[in-house]
Amino acid sequence: MMLKKLLRTLLRYKAQFISMAIMTALGIGVFLGFSMEWRTLEVNTQKIYDQTGFADFRIYDTENGFSAEDAARIAALNGVQDVTRFASVNMSAQNTSDVVALTVSENMAVSGILLMEGEKYDPESEDGMWLSDSYAKENGIKLGDTLTLTYKEFTVTGTVKGLIKSSEYLICLIDDTQLMPDYSSCGYVYVSGAMLERLVDEESQKLLDANPLYRLAGQSRIEAEKTKYLNRLFMQINVKSTLTKAELIEKADAALGRTCLVVSKEETVSYAEVQGEIEEGKTMVSILPVLFLAIGVLTMVTTMHRITANEKTQIGTLKALGFRDKRILIHYSCFALVIGLLGTLLGAGIGYLIAWYIMRPDGAMGTYIDMPYWTLTAPWYTWLVIALIDLMLVFIGFMSVKKMLRGTAADALRPYTPNRVKHLALEETKAFKRLSFGTKWNLRDCFRHKSRSFMTLFGVLGCVILIVGGLGMKDTMDVFVNKFYDEAINYSVRVNLNAESAVSEDDPDGARESYNQKALALAQKLKADWSSQFSAQIGDQGYLIEIYDVTQDKVRFLDDDLEIMTLGDEGVYICSRIARDLDIGKGSEISFSPYGSDKNYTVKVAGITRELSKSVVMTRAYAEKAGINYTINALYTDETDVAGDAIIQNTQTKQAIMDSFDTFMELMNTMVALLVLAAIVLGIVVLYNLGVMSYVERYREMATLKVVGFRDKKIGRLLITQNLWLSLIGIILGIPAGALVLDYLIKALAGEYEMKLAISPFTYIFSVALTLGVSLIVGLMVARKNKRIDMVAALKTEE
Amino acid sequence: MYAVEFKDVSRVYVNGEHEQRALDHVNLQLEQGKFIVILGPSGAGKSTMLNLIGGLDSPTEGTILIGGQDISKLTNNELADYRADTVGFVFQSYNLIPTLTVIENVALVKEIAHDPLSSHDMLKAVGLLDHKHAFPSELSGGEQQRVSIARALAKNPKILLCDEPTGALDSETGVMVLKLLLSMAREMGKTIIVVTHNQNIAKMGDVVVRVKNGKVVYCEEQQNPLSVEEVDW
Repeated sequence: MMLKKLLRTLLRYKAQFISMAIMTALGIGVFLGFSMEWRTLEVNTQKIYDQTGFADFRIYDTENGFSAEDAARIAALNGVQDVTRFASVNMSAQNTSDVVALTVSENMAVSGILLMEGEKYDPESEDGMWLSDSYAKENGIKLGDTLTLTYKEFTVTGTVKGLIKSSEYLICLIDDTQLMPDYSSCGYVYVSGAMLERLVDEESQKLLDANPLYRLAGQSRIEAEKTKYLNRLFMQINVKSTLTKAELIEKADAALGRTCLVVSKEETVSYAEVQGEIEEGKTMVSILPVLFLAIGVLTMVTTMHRITANEKTQIGTLKALGFRDKRILIHYSCFALVIGLLGTLLGAGIGYLIAWYIMRPDGAMGTYIDMPYWTLTAPWYTWLVIALIDLMLVFIGFMSVKKMLRGTAADALRPYTPNRVKHLALEETKAFKRLSFGTKWNLRDCFRHKSRSFMTLFGVLGCVILIVGGLGMKDTMDVFVNKFYDEAINYSVRVNLNAESAVSEDDPDGARESYNQKALALAQKLKADWSSQFSAQIGDQGYLIEIYDVTQDKVRFLDDDLEIMTLGDEGVYICSRIARDLDIGKGSEISFSPYGSDKNYTVKVAGITRELSKSVVMTRAYAEKAGINYTINALYTDETDVAGDAIIQNTQTKQAIMDSFDTFMELMNTMVALLVLAAIVLGIVVLYNLGVMSYVERYREMATLKVVGFRDKKIGRLLITQNLWLSLIGIILGIPAGALVLDYLIKALAGEYEMKLAISPFTYIFSVALTLGVSLIVGLMVARKNKRIDMVAALKTEE
Repeated sequence: MYAVEFKDVSRVYVNGEHEQRALDHVNLQLEQGKFIVILGPSGAGKSTMLNLIGGLDSPTEGTILIGGQDISKLTNNELADYRADTVGFVFQSYNLIPTLTVIENVALVKEIAHDPLSSHDMLKAVGLLDHKHAFPSELSGGEQQRVSIARALAKNPKILLCDEPTGALDSETGVMVLKLLLSMAREMGKTIIVVTHNQNIAKMGDVVVRVKNGKVVYCEEQQNPLSVEEVDW
């Protein structure tokens, strides 16, 4: 019998019931969805890190590379578990502009591969290629196909024997200017050490055939040169170790007898970006679901109070009939339980849908991270939190009924009386006295039903925060892309130079000078600006040092306000992330030591810039003044026909960089659309629920107005006006709150891009219009109910 | 021309398969400026009659003429305008707006009535000028009913409709309220229709209408109606 009553009560309050279930479902759904997003990423990337032996450290020597003995020395260090000599050379594929990294890991237990399809990796194979399955898929390459890669005169041809994934290339980017991987033009291929040796043999043979005089040096000298050449290709030793970075640097330097660049996994794109995504997921979980759940729980408090107040005489009747308080409490708490359970069920569906939408090979994350596994996983505590949320909802229901059950059965039988109206302080003002009766009525009603008014305000606030946050994120991104890529990149082609000939053991300065002359001549021919880039240690961190010579206005720099600035010759300019990391600013001094060099330079900071990579930039004039040696390694030009010069390594067009944004911008647009949709749903659900509540609470007053002679339209206008007032206050508070949340999100989620908060006037106008629109539509929906007010019945009811 | 004229009026309420005939082919003429008492037991149809006169409800059959105007076919908005200008209501449960002060409750009618009276004067007449800034919840039942009377008369209506106006009050307060109601309405020349089951009030009416089972069983003009003081309460 009581179950029937429960079902009928649910039916009676269906608007409140449905809206509460939706609110709960949204909160739980967003919480579960984003929790699953980061946890799925964490679990599945960890799986591939483990399976492919993702290295903890990478030791670099880009000039001489590493010998097998070097690797053995590192392997022998205390605290080092395993090592591999690792080679990765960017090559052009099939005579296209595609960049494919030819990769060799001598010990596949470290920085190895995960076979997705085809033959197992064979370390003795001299023609086998194990190609990135994503690159193969995008380019229609199948098992058994022949693949030819070229790097200058160096040509590698092999047969695709396996399609693979590798944790080393989990996020496959050409360089810092690329935001998103593009597997149609960028990939990687693993070959065996044996194949690399064969290639070096063939190259040596070609050299010897072309220059027979080299043979006079003797076979042992020829073998030594071949080994040296091979070693130079192994620019990395990848290490599995439990040592700290500082410990490994100290031990490795001592073991190798020279200073090498050591990069920890936390500094690699494939690890740092994934961890960044996980952290971003956690940040999202701490903001969006909290917003939804807070609104949901607070609305639940207001709604349950109203429902139990409406049911007070029934509660009293049950009590008078002899039902124990406990039974009545359980009965009405079940109402909250049903809302909680239905919300959880719907929320779990929404959560899985969000997680599935983001975490699948064709989803948002799939376009960024090349993972083999996409098993959706939720953190263990998610279900506990959801159970606690349900418990809290039941507790809210329980407390609401308990309040109505207070006192004797006779007390419970008396209808609920709302708070007494109190005089407001502002009523003494002249302005208040001049207000229309409707304004006074609404104003006092807002204060009389504070929790309802507060909830309406809170709901609108949440709605505005979501809209401003969503659209503002797009504005910020647009400004970022526009500033960095449209304004700062003023060239059509970036020409990367091969600076190998700048290195000489016998005459380092002479070789560099002679190479720089060639590069300058080429720059002049191409009407290009140029730069020299190298890594250096500042404190215990590695940063990029960039020296620019800008005479053609092909490269521009942005100041801290994202405005174009000119570099001066009186110091270096650090990017805002370095300024933050090292807690330094204009006027400070920094010292850096280029990797592979024993020189240390101390320079003055002349300003702060915003850069894509964490870098220190300076002009050629200042570099020369400070005595910094440099090797030109990139030219920036508008000339598109740049091939033919021996020192050119490869080229990269601005268009290719811009194209990689398309996917990124699509993702951004989808996310913005979802946020705006969530805002609309939130706005409608909260405002409708509270609007209906306001209508029920003022039913008798409206019936009185109707009897006195007020038209439905006029009464409706009173209701809508209150909604609009609260919406306006919500908007006024919501816009700065939205900007603050967005600023926090940008710093937390996109700190690596040096974005700056930008909200366009359109976003403000749209947020205001949409929120007011939602408020007006919901107000009209509620106001339409006026027509159904039964004046006779309403006025007979005892208050 | 009658103040109120019912021509073969029926009001049937349908609730599922059950049909309740609240008024059954009623014919009635009530003159202007009179104090009319409609008497009858619970469920007799007296409140239905009052609601139909007040434009709160519409007849299922028949015609209702108020001052010669047929109100049975009016639209919702026309009915609202009719209520705003022609009739004033006094309910048993006062029905004041709790979030408006006493003076605001009375002044409320200025928003809709075409010829409203001064709310200040009305409050003075009911003796509540000192309480004009109080909220209804700060007043006693009798005081609240006096505000309700002031509000009803402030519209300057032709007819004052009262549904058990003293039903929620103790007898002493009830007498006082009734006295005020009658003196004010008579002074202002209004037609007063009071619905009650209190036989004593009937003794004061110029016209007494008895209703039973949805039919008018008696409608007579009293030759010597008693004054409030003369009635043995």
